[in-house]
Amino acid sequence: MKFQAKNILGVAALIGFNLTPIADELPDRQQALPSVAKQAEHLYIESAALADIPAGEFGDKVRLGYQLFVNTQQLRDKHVGNELNCVNCHLNAGNKANASPLWGAYFAYPAYRKKNDKVNSFEERLQGCFTYSMNGKAPESGSKELVALSAYSYWLGMSGLMLQHNVAGPVPELSDSELVKGAKRDDFILPEAISSKMDQNALAQLPGRGYPAVPKAEQAYSPERGAKVYQAHCQSCHGKDGQGQMIAGVAALPPLWGPQSYNWGAGMHRVGTAADFIYENMPLGKSVQLTPQQAWDVSAYINSQERPQDPRFKGQVTDTQKQYHQHDGYYGKTISGKVLGSASSANFPKK
Amino acid sequence: MNKMITAAIFVSSALSIQVSASVPDASPKELQQTVPAAAQVCLSCHGAQGQGIDLAGPKLAGLSSAYMMQQIKLFQSGSRQNPLMQPMSMTVQGDNIKVVADYFASQSVDKINLHYRGDKVVIADPAEKIAYQGDWSRDLPACFSCHGPSGVGAEQFPRLAGQQASYLKTQLEAWQSGTRKGDADNMMGNVASKLTAAEIDQLAQYFASLK
Ligand code: HEC
Ligand code: HEC
Ligand code: HEC
Ligand code: HEC
Repeated sequence: MKFQAKNILGVAALIGFNLTPIADELPDRQQALPSVAKQAEHLYIESAALADIPAGEFGDKVRLGYQLFVNTQQLRDKHVGNELNCVNCHLNAGNKANASPLWGAYFAYPAYRKKNDKVNSFEERLQGCFTYSMNGKAPESGSKELVALSAYSYWLGMSGLMLQHNVAGPVPELSDSELVKGAKRDDFILPEAISSKMDQNALAQLPGRGYPAVPKAEQAYSPERGAKVYQAHCQSCHGKDGQGQMIAGVAALPPLWGPQSYNWGAGMHRVGTAADFIYENMPLGKSVQLTPQQAWDVSAYINSQERPQDPRFKGQVTDTQKQYHQHDGYYGKTISGKVLGSASSANFPKK
Repeated sequence: MNKMITAAIFVSSALSIQVSASVPDASPKELQQTVPAAAQVCLSCHGAQGQGIDLAGPKLAGLSSAYMMQQIKLFQSGSRQNPLMQPMSMTVQGDNIKVVADYFASQSVDKINLHYRGDKVVIADPAEKIAYQGDWSRDLPACFSCHGPSGVGAEQFPRLAGQQASYLKTQLEAWQSGTRKGDADNMMGNVASKLTAAEIDQLAQYFASLK
């Protein structure tokens, strides 16, 4: 093990905090990720092909993780409360640089959060996306689903690093309890060829992680201007009413607001985060198409519409807003005479 | 233009002979009662139930009315070019566009087994792989994203499942050569432009086989 000692002690000590009983409060796991500007010289890691997932028990977990990720509706009413699938926001099955790839995430957890002095394990971050992005009820820690999604993320990342650093042989298998932690821990074993070139911090900031920051726009963002961008470039796929398009029972084109979309606690409801995602990834399959101004404006437009309630809501929009919404979002703000959050749809509704 | 219309009418009357022979369960008289007048002329190439006739006209059953109305207008404006269909599109105007589109949209298609994203992890068939996983190394999204499970489509996203392979192929080629336009924001044109000739062949065969 050749990791630089920086941070390791802190992280190791803090893992202990995980064992303290979980408070009644839903933890704030939806903090903005550090969003880094894209750089031309970045080389992204390339995972091995799905066909290379090994036969056997470990490989089966990886395969299940892939299947849950692209068809999360298998868990509808069990853990999922809207029409979305993880792949809708993490394009190419979580394997696309600059669309918040799983391989970029896996090496960044457990992550220390200054705000609540807690360490977030990888499975806890996955639970966050179930609670907020999927408007659902997260699977239990250590559950089959979280193990599978962790195994898939680990396999994407590790196979990519091994290819990049010419490490031969199969991806080392990990136990379930190791898988769900993530790889940013000093007892995580990396092949020497990799650890000698990249320390923990480099691995936690792999190029292509997250959604790169959209350049600043000249004018402050405006939902009114955004409505025009929406009509010109989004409506044909996501619908006039933002409800997407169901095809044979699947929201092939996913809803952007309303009861079937992400809720008021999800990362995507922040204007900046969605602008980053949209600028880089929408309209689908065209790469960067919009101007930064258009991306900010259209993000403001879709995020100033009603959607499912923030699950941390306790009865007063102003309280939830004060505690959790001191950022670039529209929760609690008044748009065309209505306070957003006051008429939100239910959390984790059954179909 | 006149030449084209004559050619088309010639083809259509030549074909109608074969068609009535191949639709034994509905006598011409019955057809006249159920098929709106404006759609009569379409049957010779598209079939009485919009089932399509090889080489003459593609399958229309399974397409939405909104999609077909839009396509008829695209033929009329020249955004879609075809010597047979362009003059035919001129025969329907005003309210009749919706009448004929509704007629074909109401025709049933055989139920097929639906396959969803994630049903298979490893996909050997290259066309099926593009259909469900795309190829993001060249920003090519999965056909699934817009045409849905097994390419059955909905609304402005046309059904590909069970369509004639030759027709699917000529459409993808038409986008590449610029003779088909008019899709919103060039979204399908953008996809088609990234496909190789071999992929077009494979995808056309693949979707045609889903019936
Ligand atoms: C509505 C869009 C959306 C959906 C659906 C979604 N996510 Fe996310 N996810 C995000 C956003 C946005 C972020 C980044 C959050 C931020 O910047 O705070 C994120 C972050 C993550 C991260 C951490 C990434 C990193 O680099 O740290 C993981 C892991 C993750 N999601 C997994 C999932 C899984 C698993 C599912 C399905 C159960 C899912 N997501 C569904 C939007 C979504
Ligand atoms: C060509 C069709 C198309 C267009 C145009 C398009 N999108 Fe999307 N969008 C998609 C598809 C398909 C997905 C899901 C991707 C997947 O599952 O692979 C998606 C996903 C999204 C998501 C994340 C999922 C969700 O439901 O929240 C957002 C946000 C989004 N699009 C916003 C936009 C915005 C804003 C525009 C206009 C600038 C736009 N899209 C234009 C097809 C499109
Ligand atoms: C002479 C034969 C012929 C007749 C008659 C004809 N069509 Fe067509 N139609 C075609 C052909 C050929 C195409 C394919 C054109 C192409 O390749 O672009 C077509 C295409 C279409 C399409 C587009 C289908 C798609 O999937 O996009 C529609 C809609 C259509 N026809 C409707 C009609 C209607 C309605 C009528 C009657 C008013 C009609 N057609 C009469 C030959 C015909
Ligand atoms: C971004 C959304 C999108 C994706 C992805 C997409 N399509 Fe399409 N496709 C469309 C739309 C929209 C139309 C209808 C175009 C129009 O209105 O003229 C269409 C039309 C077609 C047609 C013509 C059908 C007809 O009846 O005339 C074919 C063939 C086709 N697509 C094949 C494919 C294949 C193959 C793929 C995958 C490689 C694919 N499409 C991916 C949106 C998409």
